[in-house]
Amino acid sequence: MQSIIEEIWPKLRKKHLYPEIPMPRVRETPEQEKSESEEDEDVGLEMKQKQLTINGAFVSQMKEKMPEKRVIEALLDHGITHYTFCPWDFHTHLRLYAAAKKVVGDKDLAKQVSNHFIDVIADTHCVKKRFTEIPELHRNLRKGDVEEVIASLYQEIWGMDLGIAPSKMGVKGRADIVRRLARIPYLDRSRWGESIQKFARTLKPLLIQEQKEQGAQGGKGERNPQGEHDLNHYSSEEIDQGLRDYARQTMTLSEFKDVVEDFSDELSGAGYGMEGGMGRGQGNPVDADVLFYMKLAENYSIPVKKFPLEEKGSLHPYSHCPWEIGAPYQDVDVWTSFGKIMPGITQTWTKREGKGRGKIEGTPDCLIVVDSSGSMINPRKSLSYAVLGAACATNAYLHNNSKVAVYNFSDAPMGGKDILNYTDRREDIYRVLCKYFGGGTALDLEDLMPFIQGKRKLDLFIITDMKITNLEALIGFFGQIQNRVTAVHIGDNPYAARFEKAVERKKNISIYTVKRTEDIPHIVLGKIRDYFNPTHTKKS
Amino acid sequence: MKSSTPPHKSSILPPNNENRIAKNPFEEFKTFTASGPDLPLDQIVQSTEAVMDRIRCGYEKLLEEEAKELVWMVQYNTIIKAYEVAEKYVKEISYTAEDIEDFCFALENTQRIPYLIPGPAGIYLSALCNYTNEEEIVLKLSELKTEINLVGFRLPKGKRLMIEGDTGDFTGIGLEGGELVIDGNSKNWTGAGMRGGKILIKKNIGLHTGEWMMGGEIYVGGRVRGLGNIVEGKVYEREKLLYPGKVRYPNVYY
Amino acid sequence: MGKNGYQKQAMGIYRFISEHLYFNRPDMVIKGECFNSAILLSLLTGLKKGKELIIGEPGLGKTTSAEYVCSLIYQFPLGVIWGSEVSGHPEQTEEKIIGRPDLGKLNRGEEDVVWTNFSQIPVKIVDEINRLPETKQSMILDGVDRGNWEYLNEMIINEEYCLFATANYQDGGTNTIIAPLVDRFDVMVESRHPGANLSFLVGKDKRKDHILRHPKYEKDLYHVLKSKVAYEKKTPKIEEVCNAYGEYLDEATGIKSFQKQDRDQIRTEMERLEFDLDASAFTRMLLAELSFCEWYGQKRIVENCEEGCHYTGYLCRQIKNCASNRLPSSIKQYAQGLAWLLEDAEIDIEHISAVVPYALGHRIQWKDEVLSQKERSKRDDPIPIFLAKEAVKAVSQRYREQSEHLKDALAAGSKIFLGGDLEPLEGDHPIYVEVKKDIGARRS
Repeated sequence: MQSIIEEIWPKLRKKHLYPEIPMPRVRETPEQEKSESEEDEDVGLEMKQKQLTINGAFVSQMKEKMPEKRVIEALLDHGITHYTFCPWDFHTHLRLYAAAKKVVGDKDLAKQVSNHFIDVIADTHCVKKRFTEIPELHRNLRKGDVEEVIASLYQEIWGMDLGIAPSKMGVKGRADIVRRLARIPYLDRSRWGESIQKFARTLKPLLIQEQKEQGAQGGKGERNPQGEHDLNHYSSEEIDQGLRDYARQTMTLSEFKDVVEDFSDELSGAGYGMEGGMGRGQGNPVDADVLFYMKLAENYSIPVKKFPLEEKGSLHPYSHCPWEIGAPYQDVDVWTSFGKIMPGITQTWTKREGKGRGKIEGTPDCLIVVDSSGSMINPRKSLSYAVLGAACATNAYLHNNSKVAVYNFSDAPMGGKDILNYTDRREDIYRVLCKYFGGGTALDLEDLMPFIQGKRKLDLFIITDMKITNLEALIGFFGQIQNRVTAVHIGDNPYAARFEKAVERKKNISIYTVKRTEDIPHIVLGKIRDYFNPTHTKKS
Repeated sequence: MKSSTPPHKSSILPPNNENRIAKNPFEEFKTFTASGPDLPLDQIVQSTEAVMDRIRCGYEKLLEEEAKELVWMVQYNTIIKAYEVAEKYVKEISYTAEDIEDFCFALENTQRIPYLIPGPAGIYLSALCNYTNEEEIVLKLSELKTEINLVGFRLPKGKRLMIEGDTGDFTGIGLEGGELVIDGNSKNWTGAGMRGGKILIKKNIGLHTGEWMMGGEIYVGGRVRGLGNIVEGKVYEREKLLYPGKVRYPNVYY
Repeated sequence: MGKNGYQKQAMGIYRFISEHLYFNRPDMVIKGECFNSAILLSLLTGLKKGKELIIGEPGLGKTTSAEYVCSLIYQFPLGVIWGSEVSGHPEQTEEKIIGRPDLGKLNRGEEDVVWTNFSQIPVKIVDEINRLPETKQSMILDGVDRGNWEYLNEMIINEEYCLFATANYQDGGTNTIIAPLVDRFDVMVESRHPGANLSFLVGKDKRKDHILRHPKYEKDLYHVLKSKVAYEKKTPKIEEVCNAYGEYLDEATGIKSFQKQDRDQIRTEMERLEFDLDASAFTRMLLAELSFCEWYGQKRIVENCEEGCHYTGYLCRQIKNCASNRLPSSIKQYAQGLAWLLEDAEIDIEHISAVVPYALGHRIQWKDEVLSQKERSKRDDPIPIFLAKEAVKAVSQRYREQSEHLKDALAAGSKIFLGGDLEPLEGDHPIYVEVKKDIGARRS
């Protein structure tokens, strides 16, 4: 069988326009296991991180009805199309699953619906766009109730006879189901969201019935001969990217959380935990809220102004340039000019300032002060711009190898605060950011001093709606410090206006307003405003 | 004496025509023709879309004519007038029950249909149901977030309309002999002014049930919150005859 | 395509370098065959008269890989190639790179130029080009663009030439190669670490590059190069010595290198290879995404994308600058070379997909948000090449979905261009807008 694959593989690759998939393999079941495991014959194809594996037993079993080569070709066509068309990536898979779940309400049903939907799209795409043996395969596959309906659907939409007699569909209103399913625009990617919902609505009664029957029989359910669709299809990076895209697309914490929790077992099985704050590695179970902000924040990039390199050297000769008549000759390089002073021959030195041992260009550490009082949104219930902004700032500093400390406050003097010392552990930072107190709003400035003292260069990032009871004290505090402060206020209100007015003369404080997520990329962390002349320095 | 030899021609050749013609940037695709089968799916989807466009268009025209500035009041004359307008547009379209169901879901998708006004939407839907060729129509609307009012308006004799899901107010008003089955709850004014036929509500029903009902029967599988002024006809609550029965007054709460 | 064994010769050279001279791991698979990108692209650069930028950590064989390829393709002994290299440091001068006045004649008041080896031989290797000041980088790239080298109003013209420039990653001692200069390179490739085991072999085994040295022929070539004869008269003599060296190589190693007429023939064969329809349509689609801007007419580095643009999902949203016209030229050259090497009858999408990341990586400036998202991704390539590969994957996927429709649109465009009474096809991709613009321009 491997030789068959090697023979047909170049043709298949060309047909599918050269997808980046390695040569498929064959899994042969050893002789002694053949008689034991009949279940193994049910599934023809396995897909794991782009490696397609054909089940030899399945192909052998189909041999009576269909030549091996055609079976293999059909299976590979199907598998390749999953990678090249539908679902293509984890984000699409999640999106389809979430849309199906809105209709069926049940996790297992939603998975079944999305699996069937994906299969219908893949097969239909193949039949339309490429010459394929898939119809012949369907003609010869063993079918349950749902599979018969799907096959009947294929008959309708492909215009091919797959061996399902019309009388069968007359039973229990199945013709009705097939008619409804046939109207769905499977090949229109832009409408997959609404299409899968219609698909789910139509197929739901049948799937529920099948679930009941299988439950009564104590069985696990029929396996998909064309391969299951689980997270094995995707690498960790693809899962990462998919979660990121999904967080950005939904922008709704509850939806994201719902889906991630449904897949939590599979994510853990795929080695996707929360360890290290990167969402990778076995370890703590996935905290969907924290993961949401983590992934969403990865979509936004906020630049950090670094402290500039100090140029402390004197001028030194650097390179040559031709000498022109009338130009000064004190920098002439006699050797390169061959001792001649004439245009076209003579070269002079151009000089450059050396970079001496000044301060190294770098990004300082950052203290993030985040408001989680009652006037702010609970980040575990809805999307909180405050937490998102703080998360983006965290990423920006960590990305530049700096550390971040967090001061999450509500009514701090009454104990409504959470403090995290300087660290580069993303997960810990995010956990503290996502904490919500929901009480009054008062900063305890004494809490901030230990973070600031002893640090030569430190940036402050404060994100709040400015409805702070001791706002004046805060203004006074900012008036005294020389650190670069980035103040982000959520929405507009008189307190924010008051704060802005009070600190407008302070060059080291930059204020930004965030009313929607699109405002976040406009924050420039650590910006120092230069008035009039950028080289002018104020002597204190 | 003049020379008989022709004057020496310039060695610069006149530009030939080829140089004047711009190069075709798509030259290599000149002979390309799309291959590959057109599936029946394409035609099904295309015709479905075409029908949906026409249905949508009819609805938008109804709104234009009847819902000025998107405000529409439920009154006897507005209902009649809106229905007449809806009829006018609906008669021109050829569609099936599935098209009606798709239209209901399209109503909730603001990208496809910008305005869902429950009254005119229900009238339009009723007109669609009444004029479809099928005698039995099943609409699976349980996933609809909105409850549409005025469903089943003037459902004629010989037609059976089954709705899976909840409906809004004025369900089945003016029923004209048809059979209306709601596999869910219904709200107020159900069956108001119906002349004949049967309404079956499998779950609960609201107030003013059967207001000015002239004939026909209403069966309620769940609770009836209140009856209206019934002229003639029957109302059953869980197989028990509610009207005519002990209760004679309108809006009795249970 | 006629088979005359040149491909086998070229593959022989590839294998020889890979197995004996430049230890490496394969990092590309094309048509089921594994290749190392550094050697493959260098081979194609040598055959196609291209310009290649080789980046990498210090000591990973950037310069040596280029030297071996040049030695075997152009039949120059290694010693001559070493002597012709220009090393990048700030004190390089035009006199050291191109030519200098004949000092004796200068003192007599006569002008005559002594050309450097670098300017005379077809093989140009610049080591650490990013350490050269910008003026010198520009000078070299201008020269290699046209093959002309000018000094003191005298000029020599190289009939064939290729450029290999190496660059270390940015550190305190380097300058940036500015965008207009880096755009002139056809491809950029990384010379990678071969892994601990192969690296150990490099240290353990005796160096084999002495095979490529030949003191006699080196001396003869130096003699010819420094002779005070017109360059046009030197060229046949250089060829003669090179051919003799080529024969030596054949005897010593069994490797048949290429004479000038072979190289010319190879180039002719390569030029005959055309894109198939899919490859053409795919390339156009890619170029459209890299140059299109609905709002401002085309991509420009000084203009930012507007919020809510319809084309948010395409590459134009992720990049800052516009792709230059050198990009399609580079793609075509190298795809032709690759297709020829693999003995394919025409250029298909696989050739394009293999080559594009290397032709594109150094030419595109990605937006900050893209960089910050992808910089930390698990990858094997440096970030510019990695991002280019991701971009190619994304465009490939889009192409697969709409290949027939796009080709239809291009076919319709052709008919309309020739005067047909058709409407251009619609589609949700910048290429359809571009087709309309071209047709519209034609109609007006």
